[in-house]
Amino acid sequence: MSTDGEPPGDISGPTVPRMILGNQLHRFREAAGISPDRAGYEIRASRSKISRMENGKVGFKERDVADLLDLYGITDDETRGGLMTLARQANAPGWWSKYGGDIMTDWFEEYLGLEAAASVIRAFELQFVHGLFQTEAYARAVTLLGNTGAPGDEIDRRVSLRLKRQDLLTGLRPPQVWAVLDEGALRRPFGGRSVMRGQLNRLIEVSELRHVTIQVVPFSRGGHAAAGGSFTVLRFGDDDVPDVVYIEQLTSALYLDKREDVDHYLEVMNHLSTEALTPAQTPQFLAEIIKET
Amino acid sequence: MTDEHAAKHDATTGTSIDTTVPHSARIWNYWLGGNDNYAVDRKAGDQYREIFPGITVVARTSRGFLTRAVRYLAGEAGMRQFLDIGTGLPTADNTHQVAQRVAPETKIVYVDSDPLVLAHARALLTSSPEGACEYLSADIRNPEGILDTAAGFLDFTRPVALMLMGIMGHFTDDEAYPIVHRLQAGLPSGSYFALYDGADTNEAFNQAQQGYNDSGAVPYHLRSPARFLPFFEGLELVEPGVVPVPHWRPDPDAEPAEIYSYCGVGRKP
Repeated sequence: MSTDGEPPGDISGPTVPRMILGNQLHRFREAAGISPDRAGYEIRASRSKISRMENGKVGFKERDVADLLDLYGITDDETRGGLMTLARQANAPGWWSKYGGDIMTDWFEEYLGLEAAASVIRAFELQFVHGLFQTEAYARAVTLLGNTGAPGDEIDRRVSLRLKRQDLLTGLRPPQVWAVLDEGALRRPFGGRSVMRGQLNRLIEVSELRHVTIQVVPFSRGGHAAAGGSFTVLRFGDDDVPDVVYIEQLTSALYLDKREDVDHYLEVMNHLSTEALTPAQTPQFLAEIIKET
Repeated sequence: MTDEHAAKHDATTGTSIDTTVPHSARIWNYWLGGNDNYAVDRKAGDQYREIFPGITVVARTSRGFLTRAVRYLAGEAGMRQFLDIGTGLPTADNTHQVAQRVAPETKIVYVDSDPLVLAHARALLTSSPEGACEYLSADIRNPEGILDTAAGFLDFTRPVALMLMGIMGHFTDDEAYPIVHRLQAGLPSGSYFALYDGADTNEAFNQAQQGYNDSGAVPYHLRSPARFLPFFEGLELVEPGVVPVPHWRPDPDAEPAEIYSYCGVGRKP
């Protein structure tokens, strides 16, 4: 699926290095008993810049990292070397950086970074088939729906971006993707019946991948726990990096990483996963919907 | 990952996740440093740890025993079929990962009665392409039922490694010994059995466990080391026998650890 000669395993991007480096800098600063203001002063920046750095929201200048480590009294060469390597990785552009700003918003770019860096992606989808599983025809149909009047070239680039994301599934170290789909997402025939049948067949195919799990919540098990709508919980390989909940809205997105918020969504996701058909039952259910579509 | 057989036994998916009392698999996940736990578990886990700080050592060393035991069973003992009852939430180095690193074609049946644990196992404990994992929703109080269902997936004319890791503490001796002996009775000659559980040799551990049991969570009882021996009755004990968890075939670079749990591996003659 890779289209530009990029090695398929090398798509993780700068997000996790940012989060890990930010987390470390936060711990060192706290251990040294230094305030964000004082740290900001040291690198000619504001306290909020320090907070953005520590939360992994921005790239890092190597000189700033070196100055902060001096201030925090971190002199061990090995530790410093490791963190400077992270700082370089944290500045490398992700594969998505070449898509134009007209179709790539900051909030979606952040999501792509998190998605590419995640070790486990748990998604609940109420309305649409998850972007990682969409066929080109289905992706085109929902893109047209959301961007009426956009020029054909823009639609093409949006569809190409969405399909490019799916390289994640065939990369060297793919994340485990665990998706729970409401039956409604399978019944709404975006692009017409034949597009939808193709999409449902694609779901059966991807569910056969080792690292992909698909479960459907049938209408007959209504009244399920996700009253609010679709959301995604991202988990990262390092236990010290907190889970992130992603909720897409019409013109922006919510990112939640406070433990109380994440707990709530994790609980809902767990309820959904236990209420849904099991992964083993799901393909047969999909096959039945294909017959009726 | 899937077969007809699974679909049949998957027919009843429970939805009874209680988030108001601490949950043994989630609290264990917390002590191991995982993120699959809720506030109620972390609160109970912290209270426990205040009384008995060693609990994180218990969590870590008992996972270490699981890894060494499975490596031995798949390696030296040549086991290619595992029946792991009381799976718990996924962590690093789950049974199938350790076994399939030694022999990728190994088959594992994970058994648990908890819907949350099973949902995670089905999604995240997936087999190597060469081997296979199966997931059974079953209660260990019905050992013959587990054996019958597992026989649809494992070949019981060939040896099976039975694993009961940290779950027999949920039963009194009167319940636990018969359950274990009935499970062992269904295994062919040459099969293996591995078990660890918490021991009652530390006062703070006893106290913390009592507090936990009084909280409304599913209780767990610590056993004296002598009371581990009946689990292995009629089996040939693998060296070094029934011993503290850190002493069972330690890795060469293992650091000495406090003793809070006992374990053993036996072979059915």
